[in-house]
Amino acid sequence: MSLIRLLLIGLLTGLCGPLPLSAQQTPQELTEEQTTWFETRVRPLLAEHCFECHSSQAKTIRGGLKLDSHTAVLKGGDTGPAVVPERPDDSLLIQAIRWQGLEMPPAGKLSPQDTEVLVEWVRLGAPWPDAAAATTSERSWDFNQLRSDHWAWQPIQRPPVPTVQQAAWISSPIDAFVLSKLETQGLQPAPPASPRVLLRRLYLDLIGLPPTPAQLQEFEQAVAVDRQAAVDAAIDQLLAQPQYGERWGRFWLDVARYSDGFGGFLDAAALPHAWRYRDWVVNAFNRDLPLNEFLRLQIAGDLAAPPQPEATGFFALGPTYISDGGDPDATAQARAETLDDRVDTLTRGLLGLTVSCARCHDHKFDPVPQLDYYSLAGIFNNTQNREAPLVSAEVVQAFNDHQQQLKQLTEQIRSRREMADQQQRPLNAAETAAQKADEEMLERLQASAPPPYPVGHVLAESGTADMPLAIRGNLRKPGPIAPRRMLQILEPEAAPFTSGSGRVQLAEAIVSRRNPLTARVLVNRVWLQHFGQGLVRTPGNFGKLGQPPTHPELLDWLAAELHEGPTPWSLKHLHRLILRSSAWQMASSMNAAAFAVDADNRLLWRMNPRRMDVEAWRDALLAATGELDLAQGGPPVESLLDSPRRTLYAAVSRNGDRYVSDSFLRLFDFPLPRATSEGRGTSVVPQQSLFLMNSQFMAARSRAFAARLEREAPDDPGRIDLACRLLFGRPASDADRQLGLEFLTATGAAADSSVSQQAVSNAPAPQQPLSPWQQYAQVLLSCSEFMHIE
Amino acid sequence: MTAFHINPLPPFSRRESLRRLGAGFGSLGLAAAAMDSGVFAGNGAGGFGTAAAAGPVSPLAVRPPHFAPKAKRIIQLFMPGGPSQVDTFDYKPEIARYAGQRPAEVDRKSLRNTRNGLFPSPFRFRQHGDCGRWVSDIFPRVAECVDDICFIHSMHTDIPEHAGAMLMMNLGHLQPNRPSMGSWLVYGLGTENQNLPGFVAMSPRAQPRGGQANWGSSFLPGAYTGCYVNIHEMRPESVLQDLRNNFVTHADQRRQAALLARLNRMHADQQQDAALESRISAMEMAFKMQFSVPEAFDVSGETESTLKLYGDSEYAKGCLLARRLVERGVRAVQLSLSIDGYDIAWDTGHDNIEGGHAVLARACDQGIAALIQDLKQRGLFEDTLLVWGGEFGRAPTSEGQKGRDHDHYGYTVWLAGGGVRGGMAWGATDQFGCSAVENRVHVHDLHATILHLMGLDHEQLTYRYSGRDYRLTDVHGRVIGEIVV
Repeated sequence: MSLIRLLLIGLLTGLCGPLPLSAQQTPQELTEEQTTWFETRVRPLLAEHCFECHSSQAKTIRGGLKLDSHTAVLKGGDTGPAVVPERPDDSLLIQAIRWQGLEMPPAGKLSPQDTEVLVEWVRLGAPWPDAAAATTSERSWDFNQLRSDHWAWQPIQRPPVPTVQQAAWISSPIDAFVLSKLETQGLQPAPPASPRVLLRRLYLDLIGLPPTPAQLQEFEQAVAVDRQAAVDAAIDQLLAQPQYGERWGRFWLDVARYSDGFGGFLDAAALPHAWRYRDWVVNAFNRDLPLNEFLRLQIAGDLAAPPQPEATGFFALGPTYISDGGDPDATAQARAETLDDRVDTLTRGLLGLTVSCARCHDHKFDPVPQLDYYSLAGIFNNTQNREAPLVSAEVVQAFNDHQQQLKQLTEQIRSRREMADQQQRPLNAAETAAQKADEEMLERLQASAPPPYPVGHVLAESGTADMPLAIRGNLRKPGPIAPRRMLQILEPEAAPFTSGSGRVQLAEAIVSRRNPLTARVLVNRVWLQHFGQGLVRTPGNFGKLGQPPTHPELLDWLAAELHEGPTPWSLKHLHRLILRSSAWQMASSMNAAAFAVDADNRLLWRMNPRRMDVEAWRDALLAATGELDLAQGGPPVESLLDSPRRTLYAAVSRNGDRYVSDSFLRLFDFPLPRATSEGRGTSVVPQQSLFLMNSQFMAARSRAFAARLEREAPDDPGRIDLACRLLFGRPASDADRQLGLEFLTATGAAADSSVSQQAVSNAPAPQQPLSPWQQYAQVLLSCSEFMHIE
Repeated sequence: MTAFHINPLPPFSRRESLRRLGAGFGSLGLAAAAMDSGVFAGNGAGGFGTAAAAGPVSPLAVRPPHFAPKAKRIIQLFMPGGPSQVDTFDYKPEIARYAGQRPAEVDRKSLRNTRNGLFPSPFRFRQHGDCGRWVSDIFPRVAECVDDICFIHSMHTDIPEHAGAMLMMNLGHLQPNRPSMGSWLVYGLGTENQNLPGFVAMSPRAQPRGGQANWGSSFLPGAYTGCYVNIHEMRPESVLQDLRNNFVTHADQRRQAALLARLNRMHADQQQDAALESRISAMEMAFKMQFSVPEAFDVSGETESTLKLYGDSEYAKGCLLARRLVERGVRAVQLSLSIDGYDIAWDTGHDNIEGGHAVLARACDQGIAALIQDLKQRGLFEDTLLVWGGEFGRAPTSEGQKGRDHDHYGYTVWLAGGGVRGGMAWGATDQFGCSAVENRVHVHDLHATILHLMGLDHEQLTYRYSGRDYRLTDVHGRVIGEIVV
């Protein structure tokens, strides 16, 4: 088919109506045929012969001219527009390639055929399909070379533990790495935290609950005898508590962008069994499931032996976008967004890589070709979400058989009775006997019925075909086929994944010791939760735009420990290493000299003071008021603010707008579970204070707290002291007592004259008034000291 | 502080931390003293907060624009469902000449229903104002304002489906996982009144389809989320969650706040942690919001003549509230039309243009015209940007006998106020009003222009998320300089 005919078809097929193609025409209006022609004939010519000097990628742009976009072509360079649409003879570009005046390209004249293509292109108005900008570039990727470019691509090697001057400070190999940096800068580490501060920090870190006054006192006494032994004992005890898994499971659920569905418009489905995955995660942490196994199961647990399909909720609970009218563009985009969620969660969550950036073009900064994005997307393109039993087929079969028997029997009894009724007669003797036998049988069967089997949202295989790269991220514009395989920068000889969707092989590649990222990323996330900052302060981006590690050797030493320590891939081992260190046990006290040198505390001269996350804060409130219910697992709690359950169990919608708990959690920086989260913010907005001042929840806690104090201490000074111990982990100061007593007296006096006062202010009387003690309790519960972790 | 300094607006810069340490934490002591003396404990009609009161860390604090803005605030008059351009503001007499025919212009691939051919508007059009723009009779009041209005007749968008197209209009993206335009604006500029939300979305009865996504902040910090108010059920004290206290008297609450400020101050001084200071000022702000927010939403103090100007439709009440909000420094207001609880009101055009569109226009015409007049009277019109329009338009052909199907190839949006040339039309559709053919404006271009008018460069207003810099206009957008004063 001739070129002209192709274009004529393009003109007549309607997208552009009867208009001529013109320079004003916006790019996306080209037909497929026009676009194909441009992409196969025009752009390659420009790319091959002109872009070296005339494009955004050019090292030096010659003559101020760029030829890599529609705008640039029309704008032209120093000598004016390169193209006058529809007038090739007047266009500088055409004159130049005809070597009339200018002689381009300088290396040699284009063939007459090629020249004619460009002439024709200008004659037609120089149409430029924006949506089909460069596909994956033709640059060759020398991954071996690129691997030496950036620290994160290099293999993990265990560095030697540095030697330091103040050897007495070393309680864990970690300390040597931290201290050697401090010594280089002439900085001193902060003194050890006081036992009370230390124990409160330890409890909140490991189980997300504060210690009781009795536990604090006991610990102080134990420290007086042997500090390290007391700390070790406390660590062991806390790691063995089931609340540990709830705390650390929640950290992982941030990475997994866990929700109960309800992503709102175009992703509105409920995920009623999501909690099965949440409970699986909590349980995995509690039993210290090796982290490599933990990840492997989340990628391909449905294919493991024995299968643990609920683990694949990691992906299956992600958004599944739809389009609501079946428009092909909208449908394709919905599919593309869904795939992007899987690729993004996989790569940012587990590898600390922003592979999603390569969805429309090669990654601009990291060595991830666009093709690699589709190598991963292809795996999920062959995977589907299912709602499936979490038990073996035999168990399901047994349950169903049993149900079937029950049904048959019930039916038999009913029809026998019905027949007799229809014939308007009583059951005869034989029937009565049969009926009785059946009813007895039914009773026995009902008694022995197996319980309903659990169901989860899981992944399943759905195909085994590679998908094409999508030009500009548009699935309706297929490019070259992308073989399913690991990212080439991470796997030197990335072999294609051919078994099923490729998830099993993907899981192996993720946890492979050759993979330089997984262990580093995991270790960093653990460090982040213990110190409030990661060693890499961009936990979801270890690429070139991320921050380099503050302590690269320490990061690698810990990663190597995960690979080949005494208990490989054991998280609890990692906790012990970190928590035993002098670094973790430092006070958070200010040091003006150190602050002047390192205000961001990158060198770790003190412990970072932190604000509790919303889970720890709400749980600690309920613990202080004595209301907390430590029941574990099960379906989510829809109205969290009326429940004594731990915050972990709140129902959460992906759109953050379905449950009361959503807005409460979001108010205190709970991440919107639309995408994997690399850490919590600590926003301060007035709405948080409105919640503290005015919410039903805070009023209820204030009543409960005041009641508890009244129950457990004899007089006002004693109650103030108990309150400080419960909330802040310290006895009351003189100032606490004085301010508290003053407040109680003034408020009590005002209460006596409240009738006249209300009359004066003309405001409605409070519907459920708080007593002076309850008001005081509310103030204490709202204190920043309570939310603060030293 | 444990904040991840991944976004470009960290709550506290290092230099700021140093400065505050050096200053010995004294500067905010004034606020605590003021609290003790009850100075800021407003009585219901207190003065409006200024940016300075926000303290150093508020994510809503005023931030300088990229360049001098033409408009300081925006009111989006959103028309969900797709108002028909050829029955409102895009006059096409040629339709009548070819009634019932299907010329090539209207025979487009994605127009879903063109079988019945061209369908003349049942409404009469007249010329108005000095500029002589044509307006359909269903907008008699807005017609009187044409000299202040800039019509963009050449809008076009990506798809003819409500869902995606509405998101495109409000988020610049077909899926709901991006921040809304209003949240981008507050992120970029902060807001003038720290005692009110920076971005308020309103509608009578039904939320526009997609609900929260239309004013959500997605990956931007939660502080930039629009605060949604249902005009129909609205009580001034219920605008924000927990705005009202049911447990203590004002006097007791003031005493509680004073004690809390004292305790938090002692703790902040002892910890020398800058983040703790911001919490003290946030608490002060919250205290004041209890009075300033209900006041802003309470129209009982408006004069008789003002109330009469707006009339008594629910949408008009929204217009009046919008004026009150921008007057008090709210940066962005989105006011969506709905009647009878329908979330895509203008979609009644499928069955019956004559009935449906007339009723909808009547529901909003007077309120919109009143808003323009009222803003002008108060000297606010020059720097308040109004944007009227839906997610797409409707085809000039008929669906069934009396209705029109969706048309995303061409439709009309109009702008007025802040920095926009009045009495002009930009771009044009073909002779039948079907497709934009002259000076075409995609939604991305509209967004780029709105940001430009507000003093922001759409290519520079970015937020780093998930490893890359996001923009309202993604990788698109051209500012329509020609319509800017």
